[in-house]
This record gives sequence, structure tokens and C-alpha cells, in this order.
Amino acid sequence: MQAVILAAGEGSRLRPLTRSKPKAMLPVANRPIIEYVIDALLENGIRDIVVVVGYRKEEVVRHLNRLDAPIQVVVQERQLGTADALRAAEPEITEDFLVLPGDNYINAESIARIKEERNAMLVAEHPNPSNFGVVVIRNGIVREIVEKPEDAPTFTVSTGVYSFTPDIFSYLQTNEIPDAIAAMIASGRRIRAIPADDWQDAVYPWDLLKMNSRMLRGITPGIAGAVDASVIRRGAVRIGTGTTVGPNTVICGPVTIGNNCTIGPNTVIMPDTSIGDGVVLEPFTYVADSLVMSDVTIGSHSRIVSAVFGQGCILADHTTTYPSTTLLEVGDRIQKEEFGAVLGEGVRAAPFTTFKNCIAGNSVTVGEGKTVIGILEDGTRVM
Amino acid sequence: MCGIVGYIGRRDATPVLIQGLKRLEYRGYDSFGIATVGSAIEVYKKNGRISDGEAGVVGLRGCTGIGHTRWATHGEPSDLNAHPHTDCSGRIAVVHNGVIENYGELKRQLAGRGHTFRSETDTEVIAHLIEEHYDGDLLAAVNATLPLLRGSYAVLAIAEDTPQIVAARDASPLVLGVGDAEIFAASDMTPLLEYTERVIFLEDGDVADLAPGRYTVYHGGQTVERPIELINWCVEDTRKGGFAHYMLKEIYEQPQSFYETIRAGIDEHVRQMVMEADEITLVACGTSYHTALAFKYLAEPLCNIPVRVEMGSEFKYFTPPLRGLAIAVSQSGETADTIAALKMAKARNCPTLAITNMQGSTVTRVADETLLMRAGPEIGVAATKSYTAQLAALMEIVNLRCEGAFDDVLSHAHLAIGDVLLQDINEAVALCSKAEHVFFVGRGAFYPVSMEGALKMKEISYVHAEGYAAGELKHGPFALLTPETPVVAVCTPGPTYGVMASNIKEMKARKAPVIALGVAGDTELAEIVDIFIPIPNTHLLVQVLTASVVLQLLAYHTACALQRDVDKPRNLAKSVTVE
Repeated sequence: MQAVILAAGEGSRLRPLTRSKPKAMLPVANRPIIEYVIDALLENGIRDIVVVVGYRKEEVVRHLNRLDAPIQVVVQERQLGTADALRAAEPEITEDFLVLPGDNYINAESIARIKEERNAMLVAEHPNPSNFGVVVIRNGIVREIVEKPEDAPTFTVSTGVYSFTPDIFSYLQTNEIPDAIAAMIASGRRIRAIPADDWQDAVYPWDLLKMNSRMLRGITPGIAGAVDASVIRRGAVRIGTGTTVGPNTVICGPVTIGNNCTIGPNTVIMPDTSIGDGVVLEPFTYVADSLVMSDVTIGSHSRIVSAVFGQGCILADHTTTYPSTTLLEVGDRIQKEEFGAVLGEGVRAAPFTTFKNCIAGNSVTVGEGKTVIGILEDGTRVM
Repeated sequence: MCGIVGYIGRRDATPVLIQGLKRLEYRGYDSFGIATVGSAIEVYKKNGRISDGEAGVVGLRGCTGIGHTRWATHGEPSDLNAHPHTDCSGRIAVVHNGVIENYGELKRQLAGRGHTFRSETDTEVIAHLIEEHYDGDLLAAVNATLPLLRGSYAVLAIAEDTPQIVAARDASPLVLGVGDAEIFAASDMTPLLEYTERVIFLEDGDVADLAPGRYTVYHGGQTVERPIELINWCVEDTRKGGFAHYMLKEIYEQPQSFYETIRAGIDEHVRQMVMEADEITLVACGTSYHTALAFKYLAEPLCNIPVRVEMGSEFKYFTPPLRGLAIAVSQSGETADTIAALKMAKARNCPTLAITNMQGSTVTRVADETLLMRAGPEIGVAATKSYTAQLAALMEIVNLRCEGAFDDVLSHAHLAIGDVLLQDINEAVALCSKAEHVFFVGRGAFYPVSMEGALKMKEISYVHAEGYAAGELKHGPFALLTPETPVVAVCTPGPTYGVMASNIKEMKARKAPVIALGVAGDTELAEIVDIFIPIPNTHLLVQVLTASVVLQLLAYHTACALQRDVDKPRNLAKSVTVE
């Protein structure tokens, strides 16, 4: 059994977080999403893995090189669609194979359910089916796939995980896999629909928070850094090498902290928080339910709740992220979602900044004492 | 130059040697060869690269063998001149890295005694000398031979009737790898990483007797203990992964290698040495010379200390009066010129510091103290990540002398490097790949950056390129400016901005197309030049790094557009271990 992981797409609805890396490389609980997919495959004994890369491919390739598994990399030169990406992998395919999106979480049990099948797809129930391909099923056989409909006929959506035989390549006429499925159904082939055990996708940046808290449930607790004796830890806490945690810090798991961070003294880290490598949390800061990527500095007396911070943000003291709901126009749709802030890479904020349901693009600079609401384009200066 | 590798153990030696030679190919790739001992010595050697000739190596039997990849010094690259070399009877085979200076004389004597020479190399005399002394004891024969040789060598020798390799080094690198019931020997540790992490760095004058699972090191006839060191490099770092070239992979590793080097910091002895210096002299060659020069332009104004930069190759013959701290900068730690210069500085009682990427390399033994840069193995012949790691080490020294004034700047610099890697430079590449000549100009710290940009362009794309201080262009090279000669100018805010901008206008007036590197948002500059490449608007130290990375990418993509062999440019080898 072979497996093709599609990791060429940018994931444009996750902008600004996808500036320097594709969606598959976004860290969730301090591991890129694609790693969970690879793990699930390896657990099922599938070792012949082909990864299709494209957007910011260097980042993906560099990461894959560091993994233990021998992974074949093929390049999709232009990001035309999933079927085109699959065509790029065609020369490497010699037997029945699985296709998986590299940017969705899937667990090993789900893969175990589909790996024995030929021509099948994993499906799942989702409360917002219109962001996905909605699947119409009769007697366990796929009848139809409707791509991102305004009004969804059912709540069953495609997870993007398929099991194919090599003759699928003759059906890849257009650039999307669902079209090929439609062609197969039209020619009388039966595609079985199998319910997934656990599957998570992050369509919009705030979805990462949900995914993050889900993935944090699976972390292995362990302390590698220098943790002061007065630190209070509850629940599953993972701390990387070279990290120092200062006195009187409180950490309530599940929390994962990367390598070479400086935390505290006197900080509070509440559940569902991941902190990347080289992060500095200054004293008297409170972080909860957030995803903080590498090299971020958060000043003292800050309160960070329900926030996603991209790499290299530098936030001065008294920064607040305030969860609330406003109407946001993301990817041609009006969205309403409660979260504090999503900051792109290298955002800088002066002291006493408040982010309120805000998506700030890469390299945004915010002047002293501002309250920022809504969407800011890349490079905006708020004075 | 040249790379040698040896294996003795239970595996079939041929694949181990071939794999090892591929890892050492950066040290030279004119020709290659291997010899194994089975029932007799079998030799296979071939002109050309190992990656092309690998398929031809079949039928060599034996679990003991030696291999060599060559960068020609004596005798042109050909099948005959390729190593290993054998004696008259074909019972002894040797591979050698280094130069035997008195080989002419030895060759005449040996020829007079009836030895037949088949190649033009200096190495062949070693095989014949061992033959002269050989009576069944290879170790004794090698021991008797070595005192006759003058020059530098790392030698591996095998003989037909014994399962044994004798290794010897003097002034050329040789590393032993200790596995389970098997021993490896190689010019550096990259070929060993796949099999073992336990290595022994031999000292000059050491002779080692290797047998399966057993080794003995002799120095001056006495058995000596050499410590086994653990290597934390990972074999993945020596592989190309999915990248088209090692060079591209290494360009993309720069944020990490810079960060690691900064994070590793400076140990107490080095710190003291740097703080006490009232004058600094740096010796270096090639790319390292450019980093040293950049250090001069940064350290002199920022920490107010006189800095002198000398080329290693010139230093030995025209030694200037020396005072204060001497720093040798060398990626491989084996650059012969730099080491010779460092020895002279040491002889003049200067405290000496080595900045290198290779733990245990020759330069680390010569120098009083070592500042190790954390670039990891660099395989591409053109230096990229070692360049930024060297800058990291040197900027740490600047920062130290300024009492930590740039702590924040340096700890965030890797983010800016990561940022410029995303820069789209296709237009500039299209322009350079059509040009015959390209000029690189900059002022102050960007002058060495321009020189480095030009060096990269020359060495991998074979486009003629020159780096100039921008003001110097008027004193001659202006005559060469035509509409077909692009000029790459680095122009960032600072005291030189105004004069640099007027330099650019002068070039534009001669109709030369100008590619400018300026800070993001500099619309004025963007308007006067043909192609504008923005770099992040940050501290000068970081601009030096980001501008260099853009120029590396420019050279790389130009070379790709011209379909050059990026990782193995013609006539070059990575570390120049001959003077």
C-alpha cells in the first residue's frame, strides 16, 4: 500500500498565517499538521509515502528531511488543484494507494478503516458543510459530491481521504479530484463511503484554536527545560529543552511549550495553549486557549486569550486580546466567530494595545494604546 | 584537497566506499577509484565523477578497502593518474590526500632501482617506497616510509596478504570512525555519520593500524590513546532531501544555522581573549575573507577597535607586523594558507582564535581557542550557510565588545533572513543570466557583501562578476558599463545613502541596467532603478545578512537558469588544503 499526501496548497483562507509556510506546515500543539498525517500512516504500517509539495516547498522539504520515515517528495509546479497534484505523483505510484490531504488531521483508526478498501472515501459529519465537498450517500455508496454548496443537502462532508487503484489516473480529466470521482460514478464504478473515526480541518485561522485544543489532548507530558521548584503544574504539561520557567509560574495543562523559551517569573498559562520555540513570556502575563508560534515575545502584564500569533510577533507590555464577535469578511463570505486575535508574522504592537476580534496581517505595526478591531491588511501601520 | 576513505569490517567494502566517496565529492571530483583486498588486491579507477561512474564499479570483492576522490595537483585528471596507486607487483595499494614535495627526487631514485612508474602523480612514490620496505609487515613498511616523505599527507595503505589498513597523517586531515567490529577512516566525518557517531581525530604524525573491530594508534613509535568523540551531526543533514541542489538546501537552512550559532554564544576563555584585545587581525581565504572584511566594517565603527584583514595566501610570504588578537576564519578548518598564517601569528606570541565549522579540524589544534560555528555539514561547494554562520560568530564578537548592545537585534535576525528567502527575484535573474559581465557595488559593510555576491556569481554561474566599492567604479570600471552590463547595487539608509543614490544615477546615465537592494518602502530608490529588490528595514547588522542572502539566491537562480552544475562548479573544490 502506498500513500500520497497532498501538501502543495497554500490554504489561502488561513492567510495571513500562510505567508512563509503552506497550511500543512502550520504548527498545531507544536507539530506541523502533516506530521499527524504521517504518524497515522506509519501506525498503519504504510511506509511508502509520497508527498506532493508546491507552495513554499522548501519549508516542507526541509521539515520532511528531519523525520525518520523515508519520504518521497514530488513537486507540483503550479497549484492548479488536487487532481493536478495527484498527477504529479503518478510516476511514483505502482499499486493501490491512499490519497490524504496534508493539512487535515486524521487519526490512525480512520486509516485502518479505509486501507483495506479499493475505491473508497472517508466521510465525516460537519456543522458547517458548505465549506467542504458535501457527499450524498445511498446504501454506503457515494451518489454525488457537491462542492462547497450554498445550501447543503446533508451534513456529511468529504474528508479528502481516498483509497484508489492506479487506474484513477485515467479519470483525472480536470484539476480537482471530486470531478474524477463524479466521472468514476458516471462510468458505473462504485465508491464506498466510510465514516471517519476522527478528522479535523482548519478552514479559517480561528479553527486552528479548536484543532489545537484537540491535538493537545494527545501530547506526552515531559519536562526537559529548567523549571523553578516553585512552579505549579497541573495536568499534561510538556516543556522543551533549553526552556526556563521562572518562579511562581502556574501552568495548567494541557499545555505544550517548545525549546529555548523564557517563561516568567510570575506568569500564568491556562489550558489549551501551545507555545512554540524561542518564545518569551514576560512576568505577570496570562495566556489561555491560544496558539503562539515560534520567536514571539509577549510583554509583561498582558492578557492573551483565544489568540493565534504568527512567528516573530513582538508585543509590548499590557497587550490584551479580547474575545468577542463582529462580522468579518473572509474569503468572500461574511463570518461571525468569537475569538480574540489572529496575528500574522512579525506583528509589532506598542504598549497598551488591545486586539478585539482582530485579524492582523503580516508585519502590521500598532502604535501605543490602540484598540484594533476587524481585518488589517499586510504591512498596515496603526498610528 | 582530495578525499580519502577506508573501510575494514564485515560488510562488503565496495558499497561503503562508494557511498563514502559520494559524501566526500565536494573535496574534489576529477576522478575517483577504489581498491579492495579479497584474495588479491583489486583496483577500479576512473576519470570523471563518481556519480557518473558508479555503475562501472562491479566485481570488486573483499571486506577491506580504500577509496579516493581526486582534485588534481600533480598530473592531469585521467584514469591512470586516479588513485589508488599500486606498487610494481600490484600487491600494495595506497590512497593519499596532500602533496609530497620531494616526490621528484624520490621518483628518480626509485626509478634508478628498477621501479616502473605508471602515473604522473606524487602519490605513486609512496606505493613504491612501501614495496621497498615490505616483508609481510605493512605497519613496519609504512613506518619506514614516512620519514622519507616531505610535505603533507593523509595516507591509507593496504597489502594483499593481510586484512589490515595502515593509516597515517601529517598536515592533512584524517578521521577514524569506530563501529561495532568495523573501523572507518575518512578525510572528514561526513562519510562516517551513516555508520557510527564515535570518531577519533588523529593528530599530526599519528600512524594507525586498523583491523576489524580493533585499532591501535602510534605516535613516534609509541602506542597512544586518542579520545573517542561523539558527533552530534545527523546524517540527514548530509542528504539533499527533496531539494534540487545542496546549495539551495543550505541557503534555506540559514535562518537556523545563524540562530544556532548565536544561541551557542561565546565561552569564557574566548570572551576574555576578545575583551582583552586592543587590535584584531583576521586571516582568511575566499568567502571567509569576505566575512572577515565585513567584520572590519562593522567592528571598527561600532566598537572602536582597529581591525586588519589579511588574505591567508599572501600573509605567509608578506607577513605584516602583528599585534593583538589573531583570528583565523575557515569553514573546513583545513585551509592550508589560513593555517600557515595562523601558525606565524602564534610564533609571534599573538593570542590566536579559530572560527570554524569543523570540530577537531587542524585549525582548532593550532589556535589557542576555538569559536565553533553551528552550520552543520555544508556539502555545496559554494559557501552559503557557513557564510552566515561565520557572520553570526563575528557579530557575536562585535556584540561582546559593545557589551551586549545588539542582543535583541541578533536574537531576531534569523526571522529577517527567513523573510528574504521568500523574495521573488525572477526579473533580476532573467537580466543576469543574459549578461556577460555583472558588477556588484556597495559601500561600507556592503562592499564585502558585494564582493561575496560577485564571488558567488562567478563560481557557480560562470558569469564574470566583480565586486566594487561603489565609489571606485568611476576610477576605471565605468569604461565597461554598457546597456548589457547589469549593476547590482546595495543601497540602504545610513550615512552613505545619498552618495550611493547619486552613484546609481551616474550608472543609469551610462545606460547600465541597475538592480538595487534597498529597504522595503524606499519608493524613491525604486523609481530610479530598473529592478528593485526590497529587504526588511532593520538594523545594519541584519541588513548585511539579508542582502547577502538575496545575492546568494541571485547567483543560485542565475546558475540554474544557465543550467550549470551548481553543487560542483568546474575546477573547484570545497576546502583548499594545498597552498
